[in-house]
Amino acid sequence: MNAYVCRYCRQPSNPSDPTCPLCGAPVDIRSEVSDSGWIEQPPIRDMARLEFGQSRCQITGTTVPVAEFALAPEDMIYFSHHTLLWADPQTRLGNKPLRGAWNRTMAGLPLIMVEGRGPGHIALSDNHAGEVIALPLQHGQQMWVHEHRFLCATGNVRYDWDSTGIWYETGQDQKDREIHYPMGQFGDIFTAADRPGLLLLHSPGNTFIRDLRPGESLLVQPSALLYCDVSVQVHLHLEYPRNMGFLFWSPRWSYRNIWARLIGPGRVAVQSVYQPPEDMEIIQNSSYATIQRW
Amino acid sequence: MTEFRFSASTCQVEGELVPVAEISLSPQDAVYFEHHVLLWKDESAPLSSMKTPGGMKRTLGGMPHIVSIANGPGRVAFSRDAPGELVVLPLHPGMELDVREHAFLLASHSIEYSYVRIKGLANLLHGGSGMFMDRFVTAQYPGLLLLHGNGNVLERTLRPGEKILVEPGGFLYKDSTVQMQAVQMPLRTGLMRHGMYLAEMTGPGRVGIQSMYVHHAAEE
Repeated sequence: MNAYVCRYCRQPSNPSDPTCPLCGAPVDIRSEVSDSGWIEQPPIRDMARLEFGQSRCQITGTTVPVAEFALAPEDMIYFSHHTLLWADPQTRLGNKPLRGAWNRTMAGLPLIMVEGRGPGHIALSDNHAGEVIALPLQHGQQMWVHEHRFLCATGNVRYDWDSTGIWYETGQDQKDREIHYPMGQFGDIFTAADRPGLLLLHSPGNTFIRDLRPGESLLVQPSALLYCDVSVQVHLHLEYPRNMGFLFWSPRWSYRNIWARLIGPGRVAVQSVYQPPEDMEIIQNSSYATIQRW
Repeated sequence: MTEFRFSASTCQVEGELVPVAEISLSPQDAVYFEHHVLLWKDESAPLSSMKTPGGMKRTLGGMPHIVSIANGPGRVAFSRDAPGELVVLPLHPGMELDVREHAFLLASHSIEYSYVRIKGLANLLHGGSGMFMDRFVTAQYPGLLLLHGNGNVLERTLRPGEKILVEPGGFLYKDSTVQMQAVQMPLRTGLMRHGMYLAEMTGPGRVGIQSMYVHHAAEE
């Protein structure tokens, strides 16, 4: 029985390989945990190989990494068409429609996915500097992923999406009202339907993971949340400092913090590149939020 | 830091995210470049300009009309101001290389510089590679060509007749023996959009691809 479990993807793995064949993380390094409990997800090494089904995926490059698939005849992956970098002409490309076409179009999400079927080679790149994150999913396992971070998935991984339910409204009167979605309007939910599958994400910057105990909570920048177990609950947390000093008259609200509050149990991952929420106006209304006034 | 020599001069490549090429030019050597890639230079290193053929057409196509030349002796440094890799291509006598527009960082003076107009309406409208490609040719002397690729750069050598489909914005360089043409894939990419164009490269020769590319459709 294989007793080695990769400390990054949490799957039984092979310690004799230089990198985990399921997620590409190096096997021969010690786990480095920060004082607060974060583990840096080590970048997948240049030319590291992943295995799934009868196929392989090789990650090349480290600045804007490319996922290069050697697909066996019985295997399929799907992806958004704008991540396709190159393909062998014999690889069969087709369309995979998604439900909720109108809402997805309005939210700027890909409407139609492209399926690539073996035999043949396909290479994908997200076109931004960052890391490729490989998440092997066990049968039945679900993962919530921030919108626009999906790179590709194997054919047996089901792709659903749902509203994040995290929003706030600004504006003085009805016609100036604007709704902000600091975590994005929608989140992607991936499920390994009938057998284990592989999910690849693109993370801008570096990636850090942490396990939350039941009831343990954590505040993160909403746009920095890359993925989390579906068991993790998320809601808004608004924090106002007590002493504004000479800025008490200022109409700017840039001193406040808009957080995503994560509550365990489950695994969470954050990316080091994020976009702070807009903070120029007073919040008139919001989704459920805890408030701290210091 | 990597150092290599060409003619009687040396070149050092520094940095990993946005790399810089620092050239120490000997008195008999010169390099040419687009003027906005110049990062710093010794005060004493003389600069001049080289007029390129096809002036008005190049200007209309968004290509530099005048290319600058730095002569030795002196030190000059170049950077393309974008995350990526420098591709060092030593060219032997008698070689011809086609390069995506605005990807060339510098070339030694022994290399001839011209341009090729991308042929075919489909290539022009859907190719995503622009209107022109830079063409670099060595006659009887070897030379050194430096390119900047966005993201990481991969190279593949195609056998005669072998084909590969490439996202047009990902094309970086190719041997002039490689044929390029836009082909439409039978795929839908949105509610109202039909078809997706890829660049079909046919060997023999090398093809260079960059992993952070200009996405043609996304810019529309």
